[in-house]
Amino acid sequence: MAQSRQTIFLMGDPSLVLELGEICHQAGFAILYKPASGKDSAPFPKHFKKVNTIPRTVFVLCELSLDRELKKKNLLFIDKAAGASAVILSSSITVTASEQASWIRRPSRLVGISTMPTLLSQKLIELAPTIHTDKAVMARVQEFFARLGKELAIVQDRIGMVMPRILCMLINEAFFALTEHIASPQDIDLAMKLGTNYPRGPIEWADQIGIHSVVTILEAIHDDLDEDRYRIAPLLKQMALGAQWWGT
Amino acid sequence: MKTIGIVGAGTMGAGIAHVAAISGCRVFLHDISDEVLTKALERIETELQKGVEKTKITAEQASGARSNIQPTSTFNDFSNCEVVIEAALEDLEIKRDIFRELETACTPETIFASNTSSLSITAIAASIKSTARVVGLHFFNPPHLMKLVEVIRGNETSEHTMQRSAELVSQFGKTPVVVKDTPGFIVNRIARPFYGEALRLLGEGVASVEEIDRIVRLEGGFKMGPFELMDLIGIDVNFAVTRSMYEQTFGEPRYRPHLIQQTMVNAGMLGRKTKRGFYDYSQ
Repeated sequence: MAQSRQTIFLMGDPSLVLELGEICHQAGFAILYKPASGKDSAPFPKHFKKVNTIPRTVFVLCELSLDRELKKKNLLFIDKAAGASAVILSSSITVTASEQASWIRRPSRLVGISTMPTLLSQKLIELAPTIHTDKAVMARVQEFFARLGKELAIVQDRIGMVMPRILCMLINEAFFALTEHIASPQDIDLAMKLGTNYPRGPIEWADQIGIHSVVTILEAIHDDLDEDRYRIAPLLKQMALGAQWWGT
Repeated sequence: MKTIGIVGAGTMGAGIAHVAAISGCRVFLHDISDEVLTKALERIETELQKGVEKTKITAEQASGARSNIQPTSTFNDFSNCEVVIEAALEDLEIKRDIFRELETACTPETIFASNTSSLSITAIAASIKSTARVVGLHFFNPPHLMKLVEVIRGNETSEHTMQRSAELVSQFGKTPVVVKDTPGFIVNRIARPFYGEALRLLGEGVASVEEIDRIVRLEGGFKMGPFELMDLIGIDVNFAVTRSMYEQTFGEPRYRPHLIQQTMVNAGMLGRKTKRGFYDYSQ
């Protein structure tokens, strides 16, 4: 087996590149990454090798941004630079895998994945193949995740997928409660952990995921389903713009 | 806090009596039905024995708790109570009648708590003159195992009442969280999307019941998936909570119930208790 089969290329959201990169590193892959805007926004460990182009011998490529424009730009780069037989795994929480596949020359090699900070390290990853996805591509994707020790769940290709949508809506509800000053953030988290056995409180979870990512996902769901049900809590929107919570 | 009155000896009333008695309070456990009272004492006895067997409490604590609980069918002894916790049926008029009786039976200093999970504390309090002493104490089922108690501040609840109530919860060995009197309080409200979005995802055909539960457990790290949890709670109970939230907020779309819930309730598929819900438990 060629050495290059052991290499994975990552680009996109730095925190996700870091989180998935570490998981791949643990599983014995060599990590190549291309920084988001030419320079590092976060210091990456030494075993992450920065590259400006993709060696033709890398077979698994991951695009991990939530922002639509950035994702398009990155995917067009990957599609052009990567070898013909490489498969593309792309985060499909905010843009469907089907739409992303329509941007590139060979849509059959793209599969959507659920990548959300704090969930990536868990045991399972959701896969959203499109109607174009090649069976051989799916087989290689499954083999790749088996090597990472991940279980897989194949879901329909929809904005928000399964866990990101449920989790972001829980967080949104907690922020509506906070916006309305019904309880303190500490008490909200405590109540959900002790009262319903949630693994983390929704507010601390939002902090760990990154408020900006939560809002980006909720905006995509709101745009897609176009229902009042998915409108974003005012406080959450403001915090995504850099505000701090100062309530009682 | 030494003397507690509890009104209603159903599952929650008996459970709260158990918790209060273990913590060293003298407890007057009231119910209009002698049969309900007898059953409550039997249930408390079973739980105390279990506690001793599992070495969670000592035999002395259990016997202390036993002698701390006094069943009664009148409010005669309630004039000694510093706090009364009402755990009657979830019916506003029944609760209001009880509070009116309590206002006559107790001293002006007695704190009145309601263990409601869905009614407004403000609405319950409005039935009596001294509204500042009315508070919500929402225990979770089963009270002797669940650590959380929501302490609910009604429109007129005084700071003094809130503080004493939180102290009582701590004395019971529980964790108090403070919340304003709003539909669903904290837990029942924030948990709505856990079920609501899962039902939506199922309805939209994004994934199956089994797959959504597996994803929520293995990707989300939750102990149980939304569908297995609805089966455990009772699909009818879960549907009623969602519906009540939706109605109390005059149709807030975030709390809109799902047709799937209604269909399951209509079919009598209520979860574990009927052996059929989202899963089949008949085997």
